[in-house]
Formats: sequence, C-alpha cells, structure tokens
Amino acid sequence: MDVSTAVFAVSCSGTPKTGTRALQKERQLNQFLAEVERRALRIAEIGIRDRDEALDLVQDAMIKLVRSYSERSREEWTPLFYRILQNGVRDWHRRQAVRNRVMVWFGKKASDDNDYDAIASAPDPIGRAPEEELSNNEAMERLDGAVHDLPARQREAFMLRMFEGLDVAGTAVAMGCSEGSVKTHYSRAVHALREQLEEHRPEERGS
Amino acid sequence: MNKPDDTFGRQLKATFDESVEKLDAATLSRLNRGRHEALAELQRPGRRWSHWMPATGVAAAVLVAVMLLQSPTAIDDFPEAANVTDMEILLGEDSIEMLEELEFYSWIDSADMDSDVS
Repeated sequence: MDVSTAVFAVSCSGTPKTGTRALQKERQLNQFLAEVERRALRIAEIGIRDRDEALDLVQDAMIKLVRSYSERSREEWTPLFYRILQNGVRDWHRRQAVRNRVMVWFGKKASDDNDYDAIASAPDPIGRAPEEELSNNEAMERLDGAVHDLPARQREAFMLRMFEGLDVAGTAVAMGCSEGSVKTHYSRAVHALREQLEEHRPEERGS
Repeated sequence: MNKPDDTFGRQLKATFDESVEKLDAATLSRLNRGRHEALAELQRPGRRWSHWMPATGVAAAVLVAVMLLQSPTAIDDFPEAANVTDMEILLGEDSIEMLEELEFYSWIDSADMDSDVS
C-alpha cells in the first residue's frame, strides 16, 4: 500500500460509522414521529378545532424537534415534542385573539371556533352501519367539544395524560410546570368531563 | 405510561383512539409528507446560524432598553395600544412570522388609537 492509498484509507475510516449513526438516528426519529403524529394531530385539533391548522402545527413541531432535539435520547423526545406542540397551540390562540381584535375593528365577524363542524371533519367511515357510525361520530363530537371547552391548562394536562399516556413527570415537562400542578389540572379536568359527559355513557343510556 | 383507571376514562380513551384510527387517507398523507420534510432537516447544512438567534435576540432587547433609557421622551411616545399582552405575543418565541407582519399590526394599532380619539 503506497502512502496516498494509506492516507485515503485513514481519512475514510470514520465515514461509514458516522453515516451509519446518522442513518440510525434518522430511522429512530422517523419511527418516533410516525408513532406520535396521529395522536398529536388529534390533540392539536381538539385544542384549536381546525384540522388544517392542526396539521401545520404538528408539522412545525416535528421540524423543531428534529432541528433542535434530534441528539437527545429517545425517552426525552415525547415530552419535548408535546412541549413544542403545546407552545404552538398556545401561540395559535394568542394570534387568533389578536386577529379577532383586528377583525372586530374592521367590523367583520370575529372567527368563532363554534363554526367548526366535527362531523364534516370526521374521518371516512370504514364499513360500519350508518347508525353505529353516527353514534360514534356523535360520541367523538361530544368528547372533542367537552375537552376543547376545558380551561387551557386542564385541557393540556388531560390530553397528555389520558390520550397520549404520558406519566405525571413527562406531562410536567411537556407543560413546563410542576408535577403538583399537573395533578391538580388533570383531576379538575376529569371531574369536569365526568359531570359533562357521564350522562351520555352507553350503559346509563340503556338503564 | 398512564393507564386510565376507571370505566369512564377507558371509554374516553377508546373514543379518542378510534378517532385516531379513522383518520382519512388525505390527512395521513399530509402527516407523512410533513414527517419527511421534518426529517429532511437532518440533511440541511448551515443550521449553525440558529444557535446565534437567542444571543441576537438578547442583544436586540438590550439595545432597545438602552435606547429607551437614553431617551426618556421616547417612553411617552410609546403607543398605549401596544400593551404588555400584545408585546408578549409579538415577542414570543414562535412569533417570527408575526414579526414579518409587524408593520401591518402597528398600522392597525395606530388606526385603532385614532378611532378611540375621534
């Protein structure tokens, strides 16, 4: 082996390892995002009652996670991702408040999230009887509406704990608050939802 | 992971999970595209400038504070309508796009004040 070949071999020796590591990281991130994206979309959608905007927020959160936290451990990604997403949802509400003020100044009707039609936004039926589909859509609409109507912090705590399955510590990281606050918000949310939704429970409707 | 510990919680979780399972093809396609666009960030070079963003922001804030302190009359000229809440929104971490529309919102604020006066 002459000198130039040896130098080339040495200079290339790190490349496959780095390339493999980068590929592995990309695979891990892809797997993580694929696992979380659907639930994240529904969580954002319930928060803002607009699917298109929710899709944008989820994509934004994915980009920010990859850009800023791809080097963190896999375990940290879930709370970090939801922290970014929740910040996006809060920011969206702030912008809406400013925009609504502007619209009111122009004498136009401020955008009202009650215009959101959950049935129209509901997914395509998949081979169910119309009655069953309607009942499911109604249950989904009631749930979406009730969770959306919770105070913002209760809504966040409830969705992260119940829908995403984060534990108290992970929810606290995602919400940027103490574990005690998470417990309080979550407990109040469950209590409020129980009062609002329990009358629609199937077994009670039958009795 | 948290597990719903009662029937009510399980029902809510089941309803939510069902809505996730039933997302339509167009939505799933958009999620897929969004994910791949996000992953493309890993290959994007020249992201180093973003590390300077916080420092640049702090420097800009210090500069504004110094200018206001140097010129007390400027504080009196500060529009009342640009209250704390609005500034918080405008200077929020994720409000870069909003800053691009700053001129427009500034005009709205001044127009709003004119209408209050008249």
